[in-house]
Amino acid sequence: MKILVTGAGGFLGKAIVERLLAHGQNDIRCMLRDTSKARGLEAIAARYPESKLEFIAVNLRNPAEIVPAVAGCDVVIHAAAALKGSPAEMFMDSPVASRNLLEVIVNELRPIRVVLVSSFGVMGVPELPRGAMVDESTPMERHPELRDVYSHSKLRQEQLFWEYREKYGFELVVLRPGVIYGPGGGHFSNRVGLSLFGRFLHLGGDNLLPLTYVDNCAEAIVVAALSEEANGQIYNVVDDDLVTSKQYLARYKSKVKRLSSIPVPYPVLMWGSKMVERYSQRSKGQLPAIFTPYKTRAMWAGNQFSNAKLKSIGWRPVVSTQEGLERAFAAFRAEPEKVK
Amino acid sequence: MAQLRKLRVGIVGCGKIADGHAEVVKHLEGAELAAVCDREPLLAEQLAVRYGVPAWYGDTAEMLARENLDVVHITTPPGVHLPLTRQCVEAGAHVFLEKPLALTAPEAKALIDVVVAGGKQMSINYWPNFDPPAMEFKRLLAAGEIGEPVHVEAFIGYDLAGAYGQALMSDAGHWVHRLPGKLFQNMMDHIFNRIVPLFPDVEPEVHAFAYKRREGVRNDGTDALLDELRVFLRGGTVSGYGSLCSHARPVSNTLKVYGTKATVEVDFNNRTVVQTTSQKYPSAVGRLVPPVQMAGRYFAEAKKNLGQFRRHEFHFFAGMSKLLELFYASIRSGSEPPIPYSEIMRVVDVMDQVIAQVYPATEGGAR
Repeated sequence: MKILVTGAGGFLGKAIVERLLAHGQNDIRCMLRDTSKARGLEAIAARYPESKLEFIAVNLRNPAEIVPAVAGCDVVIHAAAALKGSPAEMFMDSPVASRNLLEVIVNELRPIRVVLVSSFGVMGVPELPRGAMVDESTPMERHPELRDVYSHSKLRQEQLFWEYREKYGFELVVLRPGVIYGPGGGHFSNRVGLSLFGRFLHLGGDNLLPLTYVDNCAEAIVVAALSEEANGQIYNVVDDDLVTSKQYLARYKSKVKRLSSIPVPYPVLMWGSKMVERYSQRSKGQLPAIFTPYKTRAMWAGNQFSNAKLKSIGWRPVVSTQEGLERAFAAFRAEPEKVK
Repeated sequence: MAQLRKLRVGIVGCGKIADGHAEVVKHLEGAELAAVCDREPLLAEQLAVRYGVPAWYGDTAEMLARENLDVVHITTPPGVHLPLTRQCVEAGAHVFLEKPLALTAPEAKALIDVVVAGGKQMSINYWPNFDPPAMEFKRLLAAGEIGEPVHVEAFIGYDLAGAYGQALMSDAGHWVHRLPGKLFQNMMDHIFNRIVPLFPDVEPEVHAFAYKRREGVRNDGTDALLDELRVFLRGGTVSGYGSLCSHARPVSNTLKVYGTKATVEVDFNNRTVVQTTSQKYPSAVGRLVPPVQMAGRYFAEAKKNLGQFRRHEFHFFAGMSKLLELFYASIRSGSEPPIPYSEIMRVVDVMDQVIAQVYPATEGGAR
């Protein structure tokens, strides 16, 4: 069985390739934006003598480049997505790129199973009460324009996959990872907080973080990709024994580096968000509404998370949260944070 | 006073700069953003959803047929500006175009001719020239405080690693690489539209040279892009010096005018307009005074900017708001548009000369 992994050179993509190999799937075509990203994958392949990795450089904005990449594949795991850039670029590299990929997939004569790496951001969490359980039954976001552009672009991307499945009837599995972390990843999700004017605002308080260690997330994608019963299903991806934002920050401070942080309780954050939004509207956008009550409810209201559905198809974390955090913090300590 | 009917505005081309147009039009009184269009419908859709625009299209003809637009903002790459302008004017719309106006000066002339023949108006997004400091500079000039310009220096910094720079440096297929003058063509409107209005109306002498300062190690289509441009100009008794600079830091954006009465420096990023002081008092004591005077002038600029911030007049695209206010007013009244077409043509003529000098045509005629 030949499996195509898009975004294979990325943080998550590399881990997906490794977990595929660990599951005995040796025939993998790795799609990369440029072949310079193949080095990390070659190092992984060296640990699996049976592996047969192919590398193909494709810009998903150009449909013609995609055809040879999809030809002959039985499964496509779509992990490529835009994480930064202008809104137009993020839409080009997530929904438009996905639509281009889907057009090629549905024009292949052989049946292809499609696995989409979506995001927690596509769910309509702001409309849930504080503390509510977020799982696969949570409705999709109804007001993407009120969220960040990343969530908006991922929502449109996932909708496209369901629309194409409805029309063309291929097998589709959707995974919605929470916060993917690990060595080589970001130090802080915005769910913990963010740096503003040189100070770290701790916004997460006692909220549980929907963490998933990069290898656990990749394992979930691979298990779902190979599971018969996963067809047509959505799986949220979070690990066991989640820590709170406060615990994460405290351990970061003790294991990585000293950091002066200012805790902002939820009611204060909500009040501040209202003020920022009001000012932005009154001043006709003189300052951007980086905080709004809607965004605050999406990110910092505090929710419960479930991985029961994922476990029902046989997923188990390959790394405990305790171990995952230790590995991540050790790596963060060794290398300075990448500038976002 | 009776409420004026709102102008129905459309946007064609929903790339990065379209966000700026949507943001500005959204807050302009007397205009409503009625529809947006991109040949990639997903791009049109995202812009419409984010700015609450009621309609989006994947086809310009369909948008024009259905929406009865008064003005269309054309924010596509320049290669399609002329046919799109023709389409919009035929549909009865005025046009507001992103720079550069067209690929060549003759094409720019054809575009303006289409607008004039169709009885419509056009303008081009020379927004920095309408930012508060540029407006203040124009006031000083008109009031005679600077005297006659003798020499003009326009300096534009560019960050190849910035948001715009990265988009083109990471994609050899980006449309900027296909422009005859590549990066310079996409940026130098803002150099020459500062210099040309200060020149007498004679054909200027233009001497340009350019080079690549970064190391070309990518081995792709991006390597051909030059990143440092210097241009010397002379028009009658006025000389000019224009620069596009990708490596000096900070990335600055300035205009310095040496006049017969005073020398003024306009800083577009810092939003200051400051006249250079001269030594009025003799001896060493006299030399102590000018820096103190300069400090006072900068302090006054800071105070002015704070006032603008307090009155909510300190937006990034304040100049675009001003330019559009003037342009929409000229559409309503049928008066002269805010930027004379002759001035636009003088800018594109200089640009053509610069491009011919720094990217000389290869044998066979193609650049």
